[in-house]
Parts: sequence; structure tokens; C-alpha cells
Amino acid sequence: MNVVFAVKQYISKMIEDSGPGMKVLLMDKETTGIVSMVYTQSEILQKEVYLFERIDSQNREIMKHLKAICFLRPTKENVDYLIQELRRPKYSIYFIYFSNVISKSDVKSLAEADEQEVVAEVQEFYGDYIAVNPHLFSLNILGCCQGRNWDPAQLSRTTQGLTALLLSLKKCPMIRYQLSSEAAKRLAECVKQVITKEYELFEFRRTEVPPLLLILDRCDDAITPLLNQWTYQAMVHELLGINNNRIDLSRVPGISKDLREVVLSAENDEFYANNMYLNFAEIGSNIKNLMEDFQKKKPKEQQKLESIADMKAFVENYPQFKKMSGTVSKHVTVVGELSRLVSERNLLEVSEVEQELACQNDHSSALQNVKRLLQNPKVTEFDAARLVMLYALHYERHSSNSLPGLMMDLRNKGVSEKYRKLVSALVEYGGKRVRGSDLFSPKDAVAITKQFLKGLKGVENVYTQHQPFLHETLDHLIKGKLKENLYPYLGPSTLRDRPQDIIVFVIGGATYEEALTVYNLNRTTPGVRIVLGGTTVHNTKSFLEEVLASGLHSRNKESSQVMSRSTSRR
Amino acid sequence: MASLDDPGEVREGFLCPLCLKDLQSFYQLQSHYEEEHSGEDRDVKGQIKSLVQKAKKAKNRLLKREGDDRAESGTQGYESFSYGGVDPYMWEPQELGAVRSHLSDFKKHRAARIDHYVVEVNKLIIRLEKLTAFDRANTESAKIRAIEKSVVPWVNDQDVPFCPDCGNKFNIRNRRHHCRLCGSIMCKKCMELISLPLANKLTSASKDSLSTHTSPSQSPNSVHGSRRGSISSMSSVSSVLDEKDDDRIRCCTHCKDTLLKREQQIDEKEHTPDIVKLYEKLRLCMEKVDQKAPEYIRMAASLNAGETTYSLEHASDLRVEVQKVYELIDALSKKILTLGLNQDPPPHPNTLRLQRMIRYSATLFVQEKLLGLMSLPTKEQFEELKKKRTQEMERKRILERQAALESQRRLEERRSDLASRAANGEVVTLRGGPAPLRKAEGWLPLSGSQGQSEDSDPLLQQIHNITSFIRQAKAAGRTDEVRTLQENLRQLQDEYDQQQTEKAIELSRKQAEEEDLQREQLQMLREREWEREREQFRAASLHTRTRSLDFREIRPFQREPGREPRTQLAHVLDLGSSPAQSSAAAKTLSPSSVLEPISLWSGPPALGQEFFPQTTISQQNEVPSLNLFDKEDLSSPTAEGTASPLAAEPSFGPSARILKEYNPFEEEEAVAGNPFTNPDSPAPNPFDEEDERPHQSPSSPPVPGNPFEEATCTNPFEMDSDSAPESEEPIEEELLLQQIDNIKAYIFDAKQCGRLDEVEVLTENLRELKRTLAKQKRGAD
Repeated sequence: MNVVFAVKQYISKMIEDSGPGMKVLLMDKETTGIVSMVYTQSEILQKEVYLFERIDSQNREIMKHLKAICFLRPTKENVDYLIQELRRPKYSIYFIYFSNVISKSDVKSLAEADEQEVVAEVQEFYGDYIAVNPHLFSLNILGCCQGRNWDPAQLSRTTQGLTALLLSLKKCPMIRYQLSSEAAKRLAECVKQVITKEYELFEFRRTEVPPLLLILDRCDDAITPLLNQWTYQAMVHELLGINNNRIDLSRVPGISKDLREVVLSAENDEFYANNMYLNFAEIGSNIKNLMEDFQKKKPKEQQKLESIADMKAFVENYPQFKKMSGTVSKHVTVVGELSRLVSERNLLEVSEVEQELACQNDHSSALQNVKRLLQNPKVTEFDAARLVMLYALHYERHSSNSLPGLMMDLRNKGVSEKYRKLVSALVEYGGKRVRGSDLFSPKDAVAITKQFLKGLKGVENVYTQHQPFLHETLDHLIKGKLKENLYPYLGPSTLRDRPQDIIVFVIGGATYEEALTVYNLNRTTPGVRIVLGGTTVHNTKSFLEEVLASGLHSRNKESSQVMSRSTSRR
Repeated sequence: MASLDDPGEVREGFLCPLCLKDLQSFYQLQSHYEEEHSGEDRDVKGQIKSLVQKAKKAKNRLLKREGDDRAESGTQGYESFSYGGVDPYMWEPQELGAVRSHLSDFKKHRAARIDHYVVEVNKLIIRLEKLTAFDRANTESAKIRAIEKSVVPWVNDQDVPFCPDCGNKFNIRNRRHHCRLCGSIMCKKCMELISLPLANKLTSASKDSLSTHTSPSQSPNSVHGSRRGSISSMSSVSSVLDEKDDDRIRCCTHCKDTLLKREQQIDEKEHTPDIVKLYEKLRLCMEKVDQKAPEYIRMAASLNAGETTYSLEHASDLRVEVQKVYELIDALSKKILTLGLNQDPPPHPNTLRLQRMIRYSATLFVQEKLLGLMSLPTKEQFEELKKKRTQEMERKRILERQAALESQRRLEERRSDLASRAANGEVVTLRGGPAPLRKAEGWLPLSGSQGQSEDSDPLLQQIHNITSFIRQAKAAGRTDEVRTLQENLRQLQDEYDQQQTEKAIELSRKQAEEEDLQREQLQMLREREWEREREQFRAASLHTRTRSLDFREIRPFQREPGREPRTQLAHVLDLGSSPAQSSAAAKTLSPSSVLEPISLWSGPPALGQEFFPQTTISQQNEVPSLNLFDKEDLSSPTAEGTASPLAAEPSFGPSARILKEYNPFEEEEAVAGNPFTNPDSPAPNPFDEEDERPHQSPSSPPVPGNPFEEATCTNPFEMDSDSAPESEEPIEEELLLQQIDNIKAYIFDAKQCGRLDEVEVLTENLRELKRTLAKQKRGAD
């Protein structure tokens, strides 16, 4: 159940099978991303793969002394490109691997194009998803739904991705889905359909307890992607954005040339692997420790590293240090930028109120805090809108809802209309009407007691009080207590035992906070393995884009204020 | 257990930590381990196994044992990589995901297609051959046309009103042209031409391929190597005016395409670009490095540790060789990098990229591997290292010799221990301790007495081993190893400490209980003293007779420690009596023993006799006697010293020592649980024995100097048979019956194990016992 390893094994096998000699890896846009997530260039160079080409690139020279490994998604255009390629082969021999099921007719047309007999292998290797972490995968689809329903193209891509994941992990699961979401049901049916159709492929060694695929919809928990994050990976994504492990730092003031874009990959960056789930403060101290260690080695110039700024200066002054620990300088830059953004945007304060909005039920205090922050000039329009969105979601039906007032405050603050419209769109997307379960008030006695105790004890860390709703869902699932009326099985058979291998897929995108939750669950529950996936991995920005792309707000032609007023009246 | 039978052997090498079996190599040890001890307690095994492995690794490196570690590293088959924050142990080993091959399908479709294609190509080439077979330049155009028409039937002009390729209408200006290869019609614009050299090349290559099949293009004609682009452009320009085109053949684009593809194929097959040649060399060099570098590193490590397994010259030669290969790699990759840079036109950017990447990966390779090449010591340094090493080895050897002495002593100890336990099986269960633990305890006193206790316990032995490993590793400067070893050592010591504490607690409790009992016993002993003294002489003659038998007998029992729980009772009596015995014997013998040999002669039998009073005693306090035994055996050193004032005094005399010899059980058991052993007490100590032998030898001619001689006296059988006539009958009968049962069991066991000589001896013994029993019964009647 390690998705990174699964993809990596596929790639290794491809390279291995092609034998010795110079090789070129021929990929399409998506498979390039898939491969780059699991292999670094230097790693793959050692396996004699020297060139990486896109199948659609026209500027490829004939190099008959190279072997070509083609790793392609089985799309129509890829097949066409490949047919052209085979008609006039540029390389001596072709090893063709499709990342998913390819139709017989496509195989036939490829075979007919191979007049020069250059193809040595045609296989399906199901690495058709982006393996982000060992337990987290993504399909990098933004805007999977139109309204409440699937965009048909994205549905088929998602089905492909999900079935490929199952095949790569050799799991033939039972399927449960979130009843309140039409999209979840639809996807579940599509996956089931593929499993039925390709039953030969899904014949794996039966395990005692069959694996479980749980399909959820983002709209059931719109809170989690709206919160500021404080663990390293999630925070980097929230504030800087991670795209296939790459982070764009070009907007960082005074950034040096070679750090414009950095790669954060737990696969080959030990520091990142060790720190990705730690919180900001811990990372700061870890980096500090590392640099102090280095300083001890260079006793001549004693410097005290008090702040992150000091550290930055220190790193810049030591080119050797830079050389020695390139990764550390990268992390210092990243953490430095994070800390700059935190103070610039007043994020500590914002986050505290966010957490209060997400986890506590004190309306008046929450409202007061939101109002106070809206007056703060340091708070960006983005964060302001985010606070109001959280308020709108939580106190949607509160008797003294004062969303209109807050919307007015937003307007006064000069927040652009795009964001103000998003508030209502978000309520439409993930409001109470849509949610199948209660996000905010605990239902059962145990949870109430827990919350009560929590209130008594006080919270350990105000910035990380929030537990994603997914935690509760998975917790119930692991204990066999997940309600069947909310999360029914697809098909007649149900799981009698507690599930062991669980694949959770979130339509509309997962988050790194949820990934952390799954990571912790994996660590703390022996015998249970959970893999989390999503159409994408969201931060607040991408989540709002997702909401925007779903086009829910467009239905309502009224201005947001009127809209929200009507909501509050309900 | 060959080594056990030869106590003189120096015990070093690959001893199994559990059974002390000497294995010849690590691999044998490991397999022995897996076979023999796999059933044993998992925890202990796991611990020791990891220890063994660590020790093995360390030793491997330190002693430069030849051989590979693949056996253990092979378990991690997958390439190692960081697990991105997820504990890898959580996930089950993962196999390659599902795959599905379409190759057979693909091949099926392709084969059909290829046949068609090949036929097409061959048809065209055959026609081309026909078209070029005659001398075109000297033939009239009409005749050419006739020949051309004969090769392929031309399509009727009327049938084709438009050019099939571009769709233009044919008229007077846009005339029809026929493809000479397929007969189809096209307009002039769409017409292609094939030059004669190209035609020749294609046809000759085909002929070759017909003859050779595999390499179709070895023909010298193909020197032309003309690029297709140049041909077509040139021909299209030149053919505008010339309708005759003597040296060209008109054809359609489709035919030309097919032929050009064919030409390309021909070209490629015979051409190997420079980069491939260089690259092949490069890879060869890399392989060589992969082969040689580990060898060199092994050598260098060995030399740097001051070993003389490899010669310094050889190593430096190898180093030079490896370095040369590196230089070659560097040069080759540089050459690849600059390949074709000065050509005109410059190579395709992708070619350059390829060259750069090859260079980059070669650089990475060299960086990674070259940095791993450790340097060699200079000659002077090496001499120093060698000296150090020799000293180190010397020290180690001394240590080992000490350890060997230890083990030898231990061995002897163990024999008597085993013997005692043969008669003592239930003791083990009574004490509730697991057998291996007892064994461990059994060795302790000896080493304690030597003031060098560390080696007797397996744990201690390991601790000792590891300490020496640490020393070696430190000397070799392998800090990481030292760290792991030290950690290991700490764990072991903790374990050992805990064990010791437990033992000490148990011991003190038992001692307290036992003291009381002994006091009681002594009281009774004193009452019986006179009686015994009288009996003593009578028994002496009997005893000597049976003794020779017993020597032989004792061996089988030694080998079957604790098999017969029933003997316990007899043993209880024996042990229970021992302090009393010694006191009694001391009293009786000590005056005479030093001066008169006769007293020595009578000494041992006297002891044998002393059991009888003891049995009566134990009969009197039957209930405590059972407990008595297991307490007694632990506590005697102190008990002797304090609780039996009678024994205390004479115990310093030679006779007292003899007496002790006769009770090896007592001492051993006593000492067994007692790490704070009194140095005086261990009877089977070889030194003590030596002292004793001169006195003893006249008294026991059958087995002079046998260290196990003493044990025989404690043989329950002997005692029983001796005692039969004298002791109180009811209990004797019971004992005898028990003994008979025991011996029967022994015989059975011996038979099972195929030790026939033992069976014989035992049967004899049994007979004797039965006789005694019968006698007794008669007496009772």
C-alpha cells in the first residue's frame, strides 16, 4: 500500500526490461509528472536513461542508437502520436507501456503502424496517478465537477486513475460512498463497472478481509481546505503552493537564481522526509540545530543564530555551507519565506480565529474576533474572505447570524468582488443543505464528553486544534462503526470484519492536513493501512478555484449580499 | 561435542553461544544456529542472534574474513530508498503492481501487416530491378517505354480524369504521368523520381539480403549513402525540362516513400555512430570499476587495519589500475561531450543534450565511486600499523588463552555438574529455574574462584567478546561500529545485571532457610557420630569393591543430566548429609590422614558409609529433607563456614579437601547459585584435585588421577548398594526400588541412544541392586 513505491517499481521494471544501452524515455504531459514524482534525474541517469522526451514534441532527432521507453497514457492523441512515431521510427527499438487499459483496436492500429518491427514490448503498467507521498496520491484535476455533477471527461479520468491505483496496489476492493453526494455514487459505479469489465485484471490473491474503497466528496467538509496550516508540507502548500513536488519561489524577494524553483521530495530529501509533518516551530529549531552543528565545525566565526533572518544571512555568507548542504539552504529559504509571509499577513492571529471558527461554538466571541481582524490592515483580502467564509459555513443557520454585516465589512475593506461572491458560492458548495453529516456539533455522547474535556483542559496548540472531518470518518470506519445509511456499500455484499486496507478518495480534492491525519492513523493503528487520494491536493487558493469552477455561484444572479441575507433569513 | 571431550583444546573461534559447540566458520555457526536453536525461546534467540550478527559483521571487518554478507543483506531485495516519513515496517513488502501485456496481440496484427508490407516492398524492388537492368542511356525512348509497360501494366488514361493525389484536372497543360513502379497516374507536380544510383543501392541490397537474410546491406554499392532530402530536391529541379530523364525512373509518391523507408533501413543497419562506440567503451570501464573497486576497498581497509592479508604493493597496483580506469572514464565522457561540436552543420540540440547527459552521469559515477576509494597507508605507516596490529593480536591471544583456560576448567566443572544433575533431575524442577539458567549458574563459581568470572555465563561471554570487539573497532577507528557495539554491550550488561540481582535475592532467601535446617541437622548428626564411627570400618571393604564399577557407570549419567527425577530423593539424602559428613569424616580421618596412607585408603569408603546415618536422619526429618536439598545445595559455603563449626576447622586440612571432593554436588550446587563464591569451596577445581591426587592414587588404583573419581562416590547406586546391609531396612527398600526403577529407565534410555557399553554396566548394576533388595527382603522376613 505504498503508492510511491508502486509507481517506482513500475518505472524501474520498464527500464530494467529494456536492457543495457542508451535510452530515451518518451512520455506525455501527464506521465512526465507521474515519473518525476518518484524518480530524480540523477537516479534515472544511473540507469542509462539519458534523454526525456515528450511524445508530442516535434523537434526530435532521429537517434537510432537509442532505445525508446514509451510511458504514455492511453489517450487517443497519444496513440496517434505513437502511430506516427512507429511509421517513421526515430529510435532503434521501442518498449511501449501504457499507464492504463488500452483498447484492442488501438493495439491493432499500433501494430499495423509498426512496419519496421521496432516494437519490442507493449504492456499496461498501471501507474496512472501522481504519487505524492507513500500514502497520498492525486490526479491533479482541478475543477472536476460542474455544479453537483461530474464533468464527464474528468469522471472518466478519475475512474481511470482510481482503477489504476487499485491495480498497482493489487487490490480489488469493496466500495462505499458518501450517500449525500451524487458525484461519489457516480464514481463508485464507474469504478465498479471497470472492475466488472476487467475482471481478469482484478483477480488477485484474496485477503481475509477485502480492501475497502471509500469515496467521499469534498463538499462534506469545506472547512479543512479553508484553514491555514502549520505543519511543514501543508504550510508550504498553503502559502507557496506545491505542484508535483515543485515550489515556485520566484516571487520571493531577493531570491537567488538557482532557488527560483525548488523541489521538495521526501524520496530523496532526508530533511524534508523527517520534517514534513512537524510544525513550523519545530522545523525552525531543527534547521537551527543543523546550522549550529555546522558552525561547530567552523569555530572561527562564531555567530549566534537567533532568528530566521540571521540564519538566512548565515547561509548566504557561507558558500561552502551552501555546497555542503544544498537541501538545507533550500529549506532555510523556504522556511524563511514562510516566516516572512506569516508575519506579513499576520497569520498567527488569523489562524487562531480560524481555528476558533472551525472548532468552537462560541458565536459572539467568534464574530467579535472576525470583525476585529477585518479591521486589521495587515490582514489580506484573501484571509479576510477566508475568515468570513468560515464564519458563513459555521454559523450559516445561527439565530443571530450577522453575515450581511461581515460582507459589508469586507466591501469596506476593499475586498474584491470575486472573493465576496465566493463566500456565497462556498456556502452553496459546502453549506448545511449539502452536507450529509454535521461538521460542527458532535453527535454522540463520547464526542460531546471529549469536547467538554477539551474545553476544560484547554487546547495544547491553538493553531492546530482542528481535526479534519476525515479523521472521524476514518476512525469510525476502522472501528466498524461507520453508518451504512450515510456511507452505503455499492452492491449487495458488505464487510463484516473491520477493514484493514483502506483507500479513501475525495472527489474535489484532498488536503495535506488530511494526509497528515491519515499518516498518523497509519502510524497509530497497527494492522490498518490507509491510502488517501483526491482529484487533487488542495490549498485554500486551489480549493476556491475548484469552488469557482464548479460554477455554483453563477446560478444565483443576485448580488452576494442579497444572497447571504436570504440565507440568513432561512 | 568433540571439543568437550578434549579439554586441552584452546577454545576460540566460532562457538555457539547457546551450546558452546565449536563451528568452523560464521556460516556454519549461522546455519547451526538456525538448525539447532530455532526452536528455542524467540526473545533470547532474537537477542543473541542480532548480537551474533553484529559481532559477526564486526569480526568480518576486523579479521578480514573472506566471504560475502549477501546471505544477510539479501533479505532486503528491493532497492533502498527513503520512505517519505511513513514507517516502512507498517507496510507489507510490496510486489510489482498488476501488469498486462499486449505483445502477443500486437505481434499477431503486426505479422499480418508486415507480410503485406514486405510483399509490397519486394514487388517494387523487383520491378525497379527490371527497370534498371538494361542500358537506359543507349536505348530508344520508345523501347524504354515498351519495357517499362511490360514491367507493370499502365492504368488507362481515360480512367483517371483527376490527379488522385492533388485532385487537379488533367488536360493538355496538366499532363498525365505514369508511375513506372505501380502503373498509376499522377500529375507532374505529384510525380517523384528515383535516380539510378539509389535504384542500384536498393536492388543490390535486396539481393544481398536474399543471400544472407540477416544483414541485408553489406554491399559495397551502398557507399553512396545519399540523403534522401538532397535527392528528391535535386531531381525535382532538374526534371522540369527533361522529359526523357534517362537516368531517373518516374514513380508516384507512395512508391517512392516505401523505397525511401527501405533505403533508410539499409543505411541504419550498417552505420554505427561514434557515440555508440565511445559509449560502449565507457560502460565497459564502468563495469570494470564496479568489479575492482570493492576488491580494492576490501584490501585498503585490511591494510589500514594493519593486517597482512594483502600485500601493500598489490593494493597500490590495484589502486593505480582503478584510478586509470577512472581517468579513462573521464576522458571518454569528455570525448563524448565534445563529439561533433566542430562539425558543420552543428549537431541537433538533442544530440548535444544526450552527450551532456552522458558526461554528467559519468561525472556523477566518478564522484560517487572515487570518493569511496580510501587511501593506502605509506610503507612506514603500514609498518607501524602492522606493529600495532601484532600487539593487538597478542593481547587478544592472551585474553583468549585465559578464556580457554577458563573454559577448560568450566568444562570439568560442568562434567561433575552434569553428573550431579544426572542424579539430580528433580532438583531443577524443584527450584523452578529453567535448565539453561542453571547451567549458567553452574559455571559461575569456578570463574568466581578464579577472580575472573566474566566468561562462564553465555551473557558474560558475549559481553567479554563485545568488549574485545569494541577495542578492536576502536583501534581500527571505526566509530560507528564502536557505537553499535557499545550499545549492544550496554544491553547485555543490563540483562546480566538483572539476572544477577534476581539470583542474589533468591540466594539470600534460600540461605536463610537452609541455615536453620542445617543447624537442626547438625544437632542430630552429633548424636549419631559414635555409631557411624563404628560402622565405618565394616563398610570400607565393601566399598572398594564396588567402586571400580562405578567409575564406568558414572559416565552415562553425566550425559543425561536431569533425566531421572526419581534419583532426586537419594541425592537429597546425599546432599543433605554432606556438611555433616564432612564434619564427621574430618573428625574421624583428619588425625590419621596426613601421616598414614592407610587412612586415606579407608577414607573414601568411610564417606560412602556416612550416607547411611544420613539417610536415617533424613528419614527422621523427612519433610524438610526434600526442601533441604535444594536449599542446601545453594547455601553450603556459608553454611559450612558458619553453621557447622565442626566442619569449619578441619576444612583447611588436606583431608578436608578430600572430603569435599567427595561431595561435588554439594559444592557445585552451593556455588551454582552463588556468584559470591567462597574461593575455598569449589571442590572440582583442578588445582585442588592436583593437590589431592598424590594422596588419592594409592587408594584408588583402578582410575588413578581421574578427576571424576570423586563423583562416583556420590553415585546413588553405589551408595545404595553399600548401604543396604547397614542402614534401616524399610527406607532402604523403598530407595532400592526407586533405584531399580531409575536404572531401568537409564537402561532404556541408553538402549535408545545405542550406547551398548552403558547398557551393560547398567544391567550389571541393576542386577546387583536386585540382589541387594532380595537380601534385604530376606532379612526383613
